Amino acid sequence: MMRSLRTRLLAGIIGGMILLLIAFSLLIYFVIRSALVNQFDTALTSVAHVLAASVEKNPNGIDLEIDIQQMPEFTNPHRPMNYQVWKLDGEVISRSPLLGTNNLPRFHGSLNKPLYKVFTGPKNHLYRAAGTMFLPTIEADKPEVAEQTAEQPLILVVSHDAHELYEQLNLLKWLLFTASCVNAGLALIIGGYVVRSGLRPLNTIAAEIAAIRIENLTTRIGARDVPMEVAPIKERLNELLSRLQASFDRERQFNADVAHELRTPLAGIRSTIEVTLARSRDATEYQTALSGCLGIAKDMESVVNNLLMLARLEAQQISFKTESVQLSELIDFCWRCFSKKADKRGIIFENQIPSELTCQSDPEHLSMVFSNLLDNAAEYSNDKGQIRATANRSDDSVDILISNTGCKLTAEQVSKVSDCFWRGDSSRSDAGIHCGLGLALVQRIVKALGGTFSTELNEGGIFITKVTLPTDGQKTIAA
Amino acid sequence: MRLLVVEDYRPLQQSLVKGLRESGFAVDSTRDGREGLWYAMSNEYDVIILDLMLPGVDGLEILRKMRAQGKKSHVLILTAKDTVHDRVAGLDLGADDYLVKPFAFEELMARVRALLRRSYREKNPSIKIKDLRIDLTTQRVWRGREEIQLTPREYVILEYLAVRAGQMVSRSDIWEHVYEFNSTASSNVVDVYIGYLRKKIERPDKPALIQTVRGRGYLMGEKQ
Repeated sequence: MMRSLRTRLLAGIIGGMILLLIAFSLLIYFVIRSALVNQFDTALTSVAHVLAASVEKNPNGIDLEIDIQQMPEFTNPHRPMNYQVWKLDGEVISRSPLLGTNNLPRFHGSLNKPLYKVFTGPKNHLYRAAGTMFLPTIEADKPEVAEQTAEQPLILVVSHDAHELYEQLNLLKWLLFTASCVNAGLALIIGGYVVRSGLRPLNTIAAEIAAIRIENLTTRIGARDVPMEVAPIKERLNELLSRLQASFDRERQFNADVAHELRTPLAGIRSTIEVTLARSRDATEYQTALSGCLGIAKDMESVVNNLLMLARLEAQQISFKTESVQLSELIDFCWRCFSKKADKRGIIFENQIPSELTCQSDPEHLSMVFSNLLDNAAEYSNDKGQIRATANRSDDSVDILISNTGCKLTAEQVSKVSDCFWRGDSSRSDAGIHCGLGLALVQRIVKALGGTFSTELNEGGIFITKVTLPTDGQKTIAA
Repeated sequence: MRLLVVEDYRPLQQSLVKGLRESGFAVDSTRDGREGLWYAMSNEYDVIILDLMLPGVDGLEILRKMRAQGKKSHVLILTAKDTVHDRVAGLDLGADDYLVKPFAFEELMARVRALLRRSYREKNPSIKIKDLRIDLTTQRVWRGREEIQLTPREYVILEYLAVRAGQMVSRSDIWEHVYEFNSTASSNVVDVYIGYLRKKIERPDKPALIQTVRGRGYLMGEKQ
């Protein structure tokens, strides 16, 4: 399922804000409600204390020593406050005049810790009431009363119309609800804008990436003012583009090189055939032309075979066998093909590899490696020069070095000799034989055999190729 | 006409030289850049067919040095390099034409002929001098309605005189343009071939086409 980052961010921000708003609104509501109700109840309790203090017990009974008519809250019919006093057996001792014959709900706590209740009174108004139990005061000048009667606690309930209080609380509730809704709406709009502008750099980068094609891989993502968090993504993408471009360039160059390598021999074949067919000739001339074309075809076959070998090595499609290879013997065997050519130029070949030195490897592919190296050495050594094969054995590997004198390459050129189609000289007069694939092939074969290949140039123009092979054919030497 | 072929791929060089010589051109050739530069600087070639990737000195360097020395030979670059950049680089350095390998030999010949015509400011592939007509493309010659059969060497000398019609052409000029650098033939051979040509193209009842300028050379057509 496609998950939109914008939707997720928006949902997270707005959902979080709504939850916070609800929580804060509830907190505000309940704090204010508690404060107002406490204030209301404290007033009720104060009145209850005053009334309780005014109830006196005398020989005639129990009297309220306060003039209710002087207390406006008990006489205001619009927002009436009422009280009622009972004995424990339920006998009503006193009640406020506005109650008439109606009773207040009877309940009680202690004088210090009254109980509070809400009930519905006249006009369907909500009333809050505080219920206490207390002992009436004994008149000070009549101590006999105290002696005559046992202590008889009384119940006092004081109520007050709380309609305004609950109306205010209701209003507060709606105010907070409305404010929350408005805030949620604003949060949605502002959050949407913030998320959209926050994600804009990503959209810009996406648009720039979408515009990049194979033809313009040199383009880089140039989005400016990219946020700190997105900058690494931009940099990594640009690095990826660089690698991609390098890879495409290598492929293009390789294709161009292949095409170039095949064009000249093709031109040779075509030109030879066209010139030959331009007029009637004797059999010898046709034979010469055909044999020339055959030579070119063999050159091309060599190039194509090398390319195929390279491709198969890259694709790891070649299987290698492992057996004990006597290195000195293999080098001598490979040298036979080039000895005649070297002798003609007075080149001396010395095989200094100990005859007992062996390694576990693939003899067929190793012979390709050494043939290429010896062929190059014989080709590029100076007249009356020297070619030498030596070897060094360590615990788990063996180095085979083939060196030749008379190297005219610079150190920089030597570092490139293993590149495909690289030649010291730009000519291709010996196309097919030295088309710049030999050392590239050597490098890849040696790598496939678990070894490493390197070249170096010593003082005095001695060119050295070094093949390092694992003595155990199953292992690999780290490059 | 004298041509130089600088191409390092031996089979191609050999077939080019063979084909061009069989078409009547005097052809010098080399597979080495340094030698190619020396040939180009030491001789006056009508056309130089030049490869770019050469041992020693590359083709562009040869071209640059030739033009720097004021050598005016027409240069046709013959290379496997086919990018626009390569073509522009070659043409900007003073090449007159650019042909990418592989190519049709006929096309190469046509381009060489076009360059030769340009050498002598002749745009028409057919030259007419009085009632003598030479088709430069097919290398056929007519006098009036009668076709004249010439050997390749005779044709080349006639063509050289025809493209320079109205100008006095010295024996050494003719020799240099129709004989190769390594040729052992002496300049007297030019007179011999002029004699052969006269026998084939002149008619006793018509005015002479080739006139001898005593001690200097030959003139074809009316003097400019």
